[in-house]
Amino acid sequence: MADNDQDSPRYDAAVDEYLTHAYQGDRRRELLQGRCWDPGFAAELANLGWYALAVPESAGGLGAPLSELGPIFVQLGRHLAVGPLLENILLPALLQRSGAAEPAPAVAAAVETGVPLALVDPGVTEEWAADFGSLRLTGQALTGTVNAVRFAQHASLLVVVADTGTGSAVCLVDSTEPGVGIEGLDSADPTTTFARVAFDGVRADRVVGPEAELGTRIRSWARILIACELSGIAQRSVEHTVAYLGQREQFGRPIGSFQAVKHIAADMHARSAGLHNLCLAALADADRASVTDLDLLAATAKAHAAEAAVRVCEDAVQLHGGMGFTTESEVSWYYQRALALRGWYGDETELQRRIGAALVERDSSADDGRNVFDPERQT
Amino acid sequence: MTGTKQKTQKTQPAQVESLDEFRARARAWLAKAEPPEVPLDLDARFAVLRQWQKTLFEAGWVGIAWSKQAGGQGLTHLHQLVFVEELVRARAPQPIGLIGLEVVGPSIDRYGSDWQRGELLPRLLSGDDIWCQGFSEPNAGSDLASLRTRAVVDGDDFVVSGQKVWTSWAHKAQWCALLVRTDTSVRKQAGISYLLVDMTSPGVTTRPIEQMTGDREFCEVFFDEVRVPRRNLLGGLNDGWSIATYTLGSERAGATLRRRVECEVALEDALTQLRRHRANGASGSAEADRHAQVAIGRCHVALRVLDAQTRQTTARLLADAGPTPVDSVDKLLLNEIEQIVFAEIAGLLGPLRAVPGSRPRGLRADRWVREHLYSRAASIYGGTSQIQRNIIAERLLGLPRG
Repeated sequence: MADNDQDSPRYDAAVDEYLTHAYQGDRRRELLQGRCWDPGFAAELANLGWYALAVPESAGGLGAPLSELGPIFVQLGRHLAVGPLLENILLPALLQRSGAAEPAPAVAAAVETGVPLALVDPGVTEEWAADFGSLRLTGQALTGTVNAVRFAQHASLLVVVADTGTGSAVCLVDSTEPGVGIEGLDSADPTTTFARVAFDGVRADRVVGPEAELGTRIRSWARILIACELSGIAQRSVEHTVAYLGQREQFGRPIGSFQAVKHIAADMHARSAGLHNLCLAALADADRASVTDLDLLAATAKAHAAEAAVRVCEDAVQLHGGMGFTTESEVSWYYQRALALRGWYGDETELQRRIGAALVERDSSADDGRNVFDPERQT
Repeated sequence: MTGTKQKTQKTQPAQVESLDEFRARARAWLAKAEPPEVPLDLDARFAVLRQWQKTLFEAGWVGIAWSKQAGGQGLTHLHQLVFVEELVRARAPQPIGLIGLEVVGPSIDRYGSDWQRGELLPRLLSGDDIWCQGFSEPNAGSDLASLRTRAVVDGDDFVVSGQKVWTSWAHKAQWCALLVRTDTSVRKQAGISYLLVDMTSPGVTTRPIEQMTGDREFCEVFFDEVRVPRRNLLGGLNDGWSIATYTLGSERAGATLRRRVECEVALEDALTQLRRHRANGASGSAEADRHAQVAIGRCHVALRVLDAQTRQTTARLLADAGPTPVDSVDKLLLNEIEQIVFAEIAGLLGPLRAVPGSRPRGLRADRWVREHLYSRAASIYGGTSQIQRNIIAERLLGLPRG
């Protein structure tokens, strides 16, 4: 497999082991069926150092490459862990790498204590931009609204990606800053809370990163890690379903012995395995990819994850019969999470269109000389 | 391909030409070789592709991963794959005798007698002998083991009677690798033998079948008391099933990888045609552009999935891991992806797909219709998608047999 050398620590195995013991039973059920968020759980993960994994050592982190976050997000998806995950694991790692003159104390606090960061980004979708909201940075004044921001009502710091007219800028805004309006909303994602965030001429003086690149990199890595999370969701849905098919009996035998059922299970497995391999391949190529290549491979991974994971979850619901439709069965939670993530940073159609547009526009010489059977790419 | 390569890899790793050198040598040779145009007419096509195999053979590009004892080049499977890739990228055809090179030859190399190897393999490699594979029958498709073509021992010969179907190039082949029933008293898999049959033997007749792509290389083959010398038995009497399943399995990984490159190059060709059309100033509506973008994006995503999936296939092939049920996952994904790619491209032809000479959006209707139709065979040949799903469910997921 592509991700782990024998001598690199298996962070994902540790994540799996911890969540198996500490995130289960009534605690997990209560979180997933109502609260979606628990400061105690977030503080536990902070204590374990999970938010510091990819933060550079110079900033007090463990210094893992960003690609090592992928297998961790697979496990977070498998266990259906509540957030903020992308926000507290990815954003500090990217912000601390961006060469910002002084790392914001709130970023360090998020890593150390688990207080949420929120990512306020209208780029979550292009196709629904009119409904989702927009942000404009004019000089140092930030204006606009984003209608769905994860965990914003619990956050102390907002990481804002705003349109500057010539590109995008990333700025850090305290949630208590005058002119910031945060309104909590109901959530249909079992692992996430949502809020509407509005800026009314808010003074945004902490702008980080070279203009367009940081915003693009945030979006690319968000796509890759959401794809990994969806891969974990698909894996667990297959595991649950295969176990159930061996136990549940009808007509005097396990339903897994019926060919109509078996074939759906085989498709689920193939789809889940294909998605997992795509994520591993994307991770293997991501660390050394240019910003443009990263954008393409991230869009590709997320496009496929959006489609494949949702289909696997739908098959899991179907094969669990009536139980699959209830909230007593975990498969319904996984399905709702997959549906929530499907459109987050692009569903399959939006991303396919983006990818296709880029390819049709591209100079054809870019395709030449790419060797498929290259020994470097086989591991 | 099988056994002999292991030996080659283990005993002479230091002497094997590096892949980069090999690729450069292949590319340089192909640039000068002037690969042939492939005619549509069947007889002409056969003649051209057979000559192409001879040209490749004489230049040392056939049997790349075969052992030197068997007449090959003694290189690795990865060298073979690199050459396949360079052939496809040069838009050059594959040699005509793929069934012999990928399936029958390795079986003879692994299970054959000295006489069989010495007599048959050199002409198989050079393209002087073209082989066909007589496995499927009208009533033995997915349930191959129920085949009924009989062979009865009579003195020094087997006497063979029965019918085969879907036998590619049977009407042009010199030899046939034939599965026959030699024992009806045992479990169906245990009574099958593998015979090497001279197609010029009295009692063999062939009848081509036209496919929906317009091709006619498929045949029915009839055997009417055909006498086959006993020395043409491959392996032991009633060993045919294990020989056939082993070689069909090892063929699968190589075939998946070859088809994958063909699909990638097809998408590149479609993109080139679309770009050229735009560069010539042709413009469609925003809706038409959007349709094309989504279609191309979907193909790209599908092919990246296949790329990711086959990185591990290549590793397994290099390790000579032999057939595994994971090959069925590859095959299932390949079928689906191949059908997505060609359906999406052909979908951009719209109503003009029915007019072969047309060029909607710059796309050549005749080519993409043909490729689209051919892709429908992907989920049927080499084990249907339904058979692959059974294998995945029972052998990988451990679900009970029905």
